[in-house]
Amino acid sequence: MANIVGIDLGTTFSSLAILNSIGKPEIVPNADGERLTPSAIFFDEENTDIIRVGVEAINSRRLNAQRSVRWIKRHMGDPNYFKRIDNKDWTAVELSSLILKKLKQDCSVGVDQIRDVVISVPAHFDEVRRKATMDAGAMAGLNVIGLVNEPVAAALYYATTRKVSGKVLVYDLGGGTFDVTIMDVKGHQMDIICSQGDHALGGIDFDRKILEILQQKYRDKFNTELINSDEDRAKYEDEAEDIKKTLSRRPVAKEILYGPAGSMKVEITREVFEEAISSLMSRADILVEVAVEEAGLKPSAIDKVLLVGGSTRIPLVQHRLEKIFGFAPDTAVNVDECVALGAALHAGLTMLREKPDVLPASISNGLKDINLTDVCNHSYGTICAPVDKETGRRVIENRIILKKNTPLPCESSQTFYTLAEGQTDLEVTVTQGEDTAVEYVNKIATHKFKLPPNRPADRPIKVTYSYDVNQRMHCRFEDVESGKVLEVDLCLNQDGEMGESNVREKNKQLKSFKIE
Amino acid sequence: MNTLLIPILIGVTVSASMIFFERIRLTELVNRLRSKDLISRLSFSGLMNYIKVLVWSEANPGASIESSAELDLSVLNCRARLTEQQENNGDSGAFNVEICGSIHAPGEVRSAILRISILDITEGFPKARPVQSCVKQRQIKDSTVFCYNAELGKLPHQVTTISNWTSIAQLRLDRLALPHKGKRKLLLSTSIFSADSGEQLACARCTFTYDNPAFGYIDLQENVRRTKTLAVALAFAVSAADKKLYDCEVEVIKNWARDNVDLSESSNKARRKLEKALNETVAFFRDGNQLNNYDICREIAEIAPLAERYDILNLCLYVAAANGSVTTEELAVLKNLARWLEVDAKKFRSMMEKVLPVDMYEVKDVEAILGVTSDMSKEKARRHLNKEYSKWSARVTNTDPEIQTQADQMLKLIAEARTQYVG
Repeated sequence: MANIVGIDLGTTFSSLAILNSIGKPEIVPNADGERLTPSAIFFDEENTDIIRVGVEAINSRRLNAQRSVRWIKRHMGDPNYFKRIDNKDWTAVELSSLILKKLKQDCSVGVDQIRDVVISVPAHFDEVRRKATMDAGAMAGLNVIGLVNEPVAAALYYATTRKVSGKVLVYDLGGGTFDVTIMDVKGHQMDIICSQGDHALGGIDFDRKILEILQQKYRDKFNTELINSDEDRAKYEDEAEDIKKTLSRRPVAKEILYGPAGSMKVEITREVFEEAISSLMSRADILVEVAVEEAGLKPSAIDKVLLVGGSTRIPLVQHRLEKIFGFAPDTAVNVDECVALGAALHAGLTMLREKPDVLPASISNGLKDINLTDVCNHSYGTICAPVDKETGRRVIENRIILKKNTPLPCESSQTFYTLAEGQTDLEVTVTQGEDTAVEYVNKIATHKFKLPPNRPADRPIKVTYSYDVNQRMHCRFEDVESGKVLEVDLCLNQDGEMGESNVREKNKQLKSFKIE
Repeated sequence: MNTLLIPILIGVTVSASMIFFERIRLTELVNRLRSKDLISRLSFSGLMNYIKVLVWSEANPGASIESSAELDLSVLNCRARLTEQQENNGDSGAFNVEICGSIHAPGEVRSAILRISILDITEGFPKARPVQSCVKQRQIKDSTVFCYNAELGKLPHQVTTISNWTSIAQLRLDRLALPHKGKRKLLLSTSIFSADSGEQLACARCTFTYDNPAFGYIDLQENVRRTKTLAVALAFAVSAADKKLYDCEVEVIKNWARDNVDLSESSNKARRKLEKALNETVAFFRDGNQLNNYDICREIAEIAPLAERYDILNLCLYVAAANGSVTTEELAVLKNLARWLEVDAKKFRSMMEKVLPVDMYEVKDVEAILGVTSDMSKEKARRHLNKEYSKWSARVTNTDPEIQTQADQMLKLIAEARTQYVG
């Protein structure tokens, strides 16, 4: 049997874990023997068929930044993002697939075949970004059996490795994204209550603040710019990251800047750094408070705060949390690896649910007591045209049918009414988003629903949405009078904009490149 | 209906009713019917009834059954009495229509029909206007003119006499639309017909006065026109707030005026007149002149419903956004307009969000953009900013890159505001 695998596809680092013979997750080191692989890509300039992923890509970036890519996850699902290399426009999905392919390739050496995987995604990722992640997996030749929210994966690993009980807040501050998830844990029973996320808050934002300090100091002394090329930028971005890591261990970090006007020694204290990142930390504080409020709780009701992600090593993060909750957060689990380990557990649970027969008894026994209840990560609705009570005008608005954070599986219905006499066509739209204003929500499906002719206005149309544990959404539009029904299925692993054949074709194209 | 037939039809009607043909000229009648588009809207009997009322009213200026000391019970009489509004049960008040007197029928009438119409004759008969109804069942076919029809049942005798005032209809005031607000003189017309033959069996009319508290339908049309003119003035005031009237701002206003200001005669002459007026207004503001925005807003607040006030504010926001930058002076004017137009602060902010992205502000006015104020307690400011964060955080993954950017900028601003207002 192929391995059961979980992959943490991170903004700055990625890792892969498998379930061992007794159902316990273990990290599989890469070809360099490292447990974490930098999510960085470098397109070799001499041999254009070679693509370097990982540490080598980080090192090569300082020499030729134009041919290197980092932090791709921030662009996941963005149709306007392209990296042009040798007359080819690489999309975020394709670039992510290179990282996944590298993980698959390296980790297959030490273990058996790697095929069925669960990939972790930030809890706040929308359908487009989730679908893009699935496509990246498929392009890398993986069979993505599911996605798991990063904080859920971390909590899953945490709860199965130590005794936990009560309301747990998972604080997941990674390299590029930030998630907060609140869950109710009773032994191996884990019920997610809610998740909140920020797609643009993570380690790289802290690094940029340090970079700004370095640039300012150089400017103050030499009245000229420190950074004059992409390579300079790549170099000092790495230096900034090192300074940040140093400041998590020591109160002062020292560095020598070699700029065009001469070199200078700089010292950055932890206080200066903390002052620089205060607005980012305010953002993190707000997210924590919003999640606690959304869960209908007060900070005092939280029993444990679990830290996940490398950026939680920053002492200010821990101090701020202590200030909010009145106790120190738990740093007991490995903040860099727990997502991949949890993803492997989630893969095992998915297999246990979907294909219990293929799972060895030893693994089944290790997983059978774990019970996880997830929630809807977003609200789903439809577009309607009610009369505004205030103005008396008809307005086009989004009406939420399935609310965010509803425990899965779930189902909800609402009845709407036709607008015009003799109306035979109805445009039905499935939306994702929390707003009433149509422009602020994403339309994820639109269909035409044919209605019987010659009827007066105000005929009832019942709209029912359901969402199952495998993240499959079913939408049903029923013309109540005639009984006519339109059914729409939305599923992450179905053909989207990038159909299955397209993914296969891309997979074939990637085979012509050698990933090192 | 063929217009050539109209004089003939009127002639027949008038001679049939045998009343004061000489008082109202035929051409005048035709013109009046044409101007109200009643020819195409009214049925034959409806048209005849309308003409009869006009002709009779012309002949009896100021006639009122109520004012008559003695009732003639040999003919049909009618009157209207106002029933007061019941505040507690949401009853809007009504005209109670009553009749007494005799109905003469040629023989047994198996089914009789009652018909009531009301005409506003305050400005005299040449300017008489029908009362309208907002309920379809109480409208003449294909028009909004009020007409009440009800079955009276069987009239068993040749002469049916009602010796006491008897209520026959309650006409709810909230479903009637008079032409104008204020004290109005109304002519009530009550007719009884045979359902079988269509023959009119009896007819009574009376006048009465009513002090209309609501804007009439003509007032509303005039208000709409006036509001649009004032909207253009406010839009120019926003544009001129920073003492610079940019061409792109003027173009937004002119385009809006071209699309919205009613040109009842859509002739080139009317268009030229509008362009001239707009150019004169541009010159007025370019010369450094100002209008009293407060007075304009007060007038608008009095005559325009909320939806129209939203439209005006939206126009002003687009004018402010036209050159890609919102100055402090423009923002100050916009805030005042919103307050004076009685637009809720929350609504105003949601309108601003859609038209003025954060990067457009010359100076980021956190209070205007986020709605947080310095007089808020720390706890209130914290809760308010958390709500704003929650809202913009959900928008950050929008498929529209402009909304994504806007959401990103808002989240940064919220975090900065938290440091400032919460600590």
